[in-house]
Amino acid sequence: MHESFDTPSGFLPERIVHLHPTTRCNLACRHCYSESAPELRDALHVKDIVRVLTLLRGEGYRQLSISGGEPLMYAELPTVVREAHALGFRVTMISNGLLVSSRHDTVLSQLDGMAISFDGLQATHDEMRGRSGVFVRALSTLQALSSAGIPIAAAVSVTRPALTELPDLVELLVEHGAQAVQVRPVANAGRAQTLDGTLLPRDVDRLRLFLVMQALAQELGQRPGSSPRLHCDVVPAAALWRQRTQYASLLNASADQPAPLSALVNPLVITDRGMLRPLAFDMAPAFDIGTVENWSPESLVRYHEQGLPLLQQLISTALSTLQWSDDVVDWFDVCARHSQAPEWNTVPRVMKTPPLERPARLA
Amino acid sequence: MPPSSKDITVSLSRQLANYKLSDAVVKSLGERLFIEGLDIGRFNPCIYGICADYFSDKMPNLRTITAKDQISHWEVFPYGIIDWDHFHIKVAFNVDELGGRAFDQAFDRGFQR
Repeated sequence: MHESFDTPSGFLPERIVHLHPTTRCNLACRHCYSESAPELRDALHVKDIVRVLTLLRGEGYRQLSISGGEPLMYAELPTVVREAHALGFRVTMISNGLLVSSRHDTVLSQLDGMAISFDGLQATHDEMRGRSGVFVRALSTLQALSSAGIPIAAAVSVTRPALTELPDLVELLVEHGAQAVQVRPVANAGRAQTLDGTLLPRDVDRLRLFLVMQALAQELGQRPGSSPRLHCDVVPAAALWRQRTQYASLLNASADQPAPLSALVNPLVITDRGMLRPLAFDMAPAFDIGTVENWSPESLVRYHEQGLPLLQQLISTALSTLQWSDDVVDWFDVCARHSQAPEWNTVPRVMKTPPLERPARLA
Repeated sequence: MPPSSKDITVSLSRQLANYKLSDAVVKSLGERLFIEGLDIGRFNPCIYGICADYFSDKMPNLRTITAKDQISHWEVFPYGIIDWDHFHIKVAFNVDELGGRAFDQAFDRGFQR
């Protein structure tokens, strides 16, 4: 291969494929970015998934994260997990925790990790999920999977009401066996766009969330490598700016000097409609890489020539917004919001690399 | 029984999470807390409001610290012979809305046991 697969690719520690095999779900959450629902029936063909995963493994991706929709409603989930493992992927899954039963024992035991999603304490969670009793059931699943020895985490989507509840929620999740808790503000995407504006986190709420997570990290006695691990998707822009060289592979890539796709696009999202999309589910379609049905080594060559310069320019622009910001940001949300600007359909595809060194601040 | 460090920090996380601490106070804290070139290590309540520990592999630019408003106290610890390229910086931020309150609440809980 062209380069080591161990070098950083973007701001993630691992090279990840996010797979949404279906948007069928037993819930229709009020904030769902993929607008999943029980009445949806479309699902990707398992042969297409396995074929594209084979190509992506060759491009250096090492982790497959399966979500949806509810992955346990995807009939071919056991095949995907088995084949992904055979290809050498580390396989994780995120679920709402309501459908886990003994008939899933085999597939769950094959996972390298699983996360149950939460939206707040009982009243807030049930309200966001549109069904009463689902918080208690999800918490019970968390505890049961932890007792069964499955590496289990919790993924928390934070609205403004949920932010107030976060200290109590995190403590409860850890008490019920969560080995890690990942927290992110609800993105203004999909069904969340119809939410009452008072529910969506504002800039200052993201800052408040960051501060709360810092305090919670002390409260739970977090130490490097110890359990439970807390992860907040919101981080200081300045800290990301200092790590911008982790995008060097992308920003320096050219059609003449191609790098493996995992060094350029991380994470790579496979949507429920079979689109290969960089960085986030709600990135604008103008940035799509291909489809699971048609993607091939030849289409990758075309992407290097035609699609990549657009992504390079987007990342360059998004990185430059970090340079002087004293704010905290959700990086992939920043990229998705930038991608939706109308000018991306008309800009000349010329790479514009940001300065590698930050100039001295003027007095 | 005196409050544990956990009691004190629990109080801080809850004070930050509830909206009684105004947006203006949170913004002001954020503007001061993020110091150019330094990564936040630990983050704790203290008698001034909030005290933060930063770590750096470069000698910190002290002007970026002293130029900030409402910094009550700061210290730089070079690791010296242990690790020449490692610095620990402790900064105390004055947050009137938090100063002493976390301790008061934690002590209240401690005495109620």
